[in-house]
Amino acid sequence: MKTSIFNKRQDGHAAGDHPKTVRTLGYMAGLAIAGAAMLAGPLASAQETIRIGAPLALTGGLADEGYKQQQVYRLWAEKVNANGGIEINGQAHQVEILEYDYQSDGPRAGQLAERLITRDRAHLIMAPFGSGHTVITGTVGERYRVPTIACVASSESVFANQNPYLFGTLSPNANMTVTMTDFLMERHPELSRVAVLGRDDVFPKSMAEATVAAAEAAGLEVVYNELYSVGTLDHSSSLTSIRRAEPDWIYITGYTQDLILARRQMSDLNVHAPIVTMVTGPAYEEFIEGLGSLAEDVSSSSWWHHSATYEGTGVWPTTDSFYQDFLEISNGADPDYVHGSCAGALAMLEDVLPRAGSLDGSAIRDALAETDIETFYGSIRFGENGMNEARELPIIQVQDERIVVLYPESIATGELRILSR
Amino acid sequence: MDFGQIIVNGLVLGALYACLAVGFSLVWGVLNVINMLHGSFIVLGGYLAFFAWQSFGVHPLIMLPIVALLLFGIGYLVQFLFINKVVTAPVLTTLTLTFGLDMILYNIMTVYFSATPRRVTLDLGGISFLGVDMPIDRLLGMALALILTGVLFYVMRASRIGRAIVAVRMDRAAAALMGIRVNHVYAITFGIGALMAGAAGVIFAMVFPVTTNLTGMYLGKAFVVCVIGGLGSVPGALVGGLALGLIESISGHFFGPQHSLTIGFLLMLILLVVKPTGLVGKKGYE
Repeated sequence: MKTSIFNKRQDGHAAGDHPKTVRTLGYMAGLAIAGAAMLAGPLASAQETIRIGAPLALTGGLADEGYKQQQVYRLWAEKVNANGGIEINGQAHQVEILEYDYQSDGPRAGQLAERLITRDRAHLIMAPFGSGHTVITGTVGERYRVPTIACVASSESVFANQNPYLFGTLSPNANMTVTMTDFLMERHPELSRVAVLGRDDVFPKSMAEATVAAAEAAGLEVVYNELYSVGTLDHSSSLTSIRRAEPDWIYITGYTQDLILARRQMSDLNVHAPIVTMVTGPAYEEFIEGLGSLAEDVSSSSWWHHSATYEGTGVWPTTDSFYQDFLEISNGADPDYVHGSCAGALAMLEDVLPRAGSLDGSAIRDALAETDIETFYGSIRFGENGMNEARELPIIQVQDERIVVLYPESIATGELRILSR
Repeated sequence: MDFGQIIVNGLVLGALYACLAVGFSLVWGVLNVINMLHGSFIVLGGYLAFFAWQSFGVHPLIMLPIVALLLFGIGYLVQFLFINKVVTAPVLTTLTLTFGLDMILYNIMTVYFSATPRRVTLDLGGISFLGVDMPIDRLLGMALALILTGVLFYVMRASRIGRAIVAVRMDRAAAALMGIRVNHVYAITFGIGALMAGAAGVIFAMVFPVTTNLTGMYLGKAFVVCVIGGLGSVPGALVGGLALGLIESISGHFFGPQHSLTIGFLLMLILLVVKPTGLVGKKGYE
């Protein structure tokens, strides 16, 4: 007995055994669906949400920094959406921040950046805190041709790979150190001997090296130049050597916990110098809180300070407008450069995306490359390597338990103080 | 040449290292448990001291016994409720368990306290003697480390519970047959380890910034100190701590601070090969 290998349908036709009429109807239906899809395409994209992927360190060692980024991302998105979104080719688009916690774990940041691009269809990636993790996410972005905006990475090495899809709103470290050296030599002409101690980590190491180069170029004698390992719990051997070298300027780089410890031990071991600079300690409130009177007269460089008076495009037309908005969400705590740079990067998008004319990664990249604008955070203009080369970087000092801006003149709120013994 | 200063720096640092390692050494030596929670216990002790000082103005030294007792309770419960279930399993099992518990505690602290470095800004000053500067808070830490180690040494040698702990370590089955409540002794031992960690945390809150970022560093130091000093003897942690402090201080001066940690680990590796029992450890505990 012959049996069909096809299941019989209720109409008596085997599956796959299409009569002519059914086939014709099938083609017509297919054409109708295709036509509808073609018509609906522009309609759908007109209402498409701008998806910004944000791998954030919300737990783990960098949780503080991740939280700072999250604060301003949400603040900006809320404000932009309340204002009707961002207009691209005459169509308003709402924005959405897609957040994932990468737990301060670099490889996980890369995995989540990939997920944001491939599964969540993010149009842009906001890189996480720090140079190391920025490299990881930037590499993923480049692979998929999705622009990555780094708002908290300043080491030139991050941008040395010539990743055309990576843009950073902070300024190169070298800009900071040259400005700082020139400023101190001008204000304290007796300056001649500098001691540099840096943390052996991407950003702090790069800052230490840049300072040594700037000091030597300016004719200063570098009497101590060493790095300390990540995980160092004691700086006494370095500080004992520095004390012996009798520098006029002590320059130490690291993260807040390192710098609190170093400043504390300087006091314990009677290590003194007319000028003490720590990067980036004084830029953070917790540095002053953790040191009390020992934070007094410690100077630093920063990428931004809220006392600056910039005007620009976007939801924050002035620095003060951002400052006031931020105070409302932070229970009165001042924003630091992390808040400023990350909010500035997003404010920049309000200019970039309309110029890009679409949400295509390459179009956004091209628009980013041509950016030359003013924002509440200051000027943003990207150089060949994707770093912001239009920044005038403030030099700051702790005076009477608050931050005073020493440079540039246009936003200065105080004069350099020399440390008393 | 500041040789006197370098030696003093090393000894003071070494005493602090001993302080953070003694509880870890006890738990490892007696229970054969590599307690991955130890660093988080130290930081928790530091936070408790910091918040008591910040919110109520309570001096850390007054908080020390309170924090120590509180951590003892936490340690006792952790051992009794969790680790005792797998205490006879291979060391990797207990290591994995304490690692998981550490991740929970670490992230709870990060969420509720934030990772922002904080410090008890007492700034007690320092004393100078023959051109050598000694910060008072570190000297105090050194004194407390020596006292705590001494007390633990006495408890292990001369008290009933100390002898029970040693008995359980020597032969669990025989100790149980002698009427010792083994699980209770295990929990007390782990509790004492946590107590020492909490006390170290209070001392460290006066010296180092308090932040969850340091949990791994404290744990790493405790591990190195135990290997250098040797397991199975309370003075082992003291000897190991002082040795590591001196090595880091001297090598930091001569080879640069970048290499001081590497040289400390190198010494640990050499000892593992040449003398697995450590400098003063007992045979059979390694």
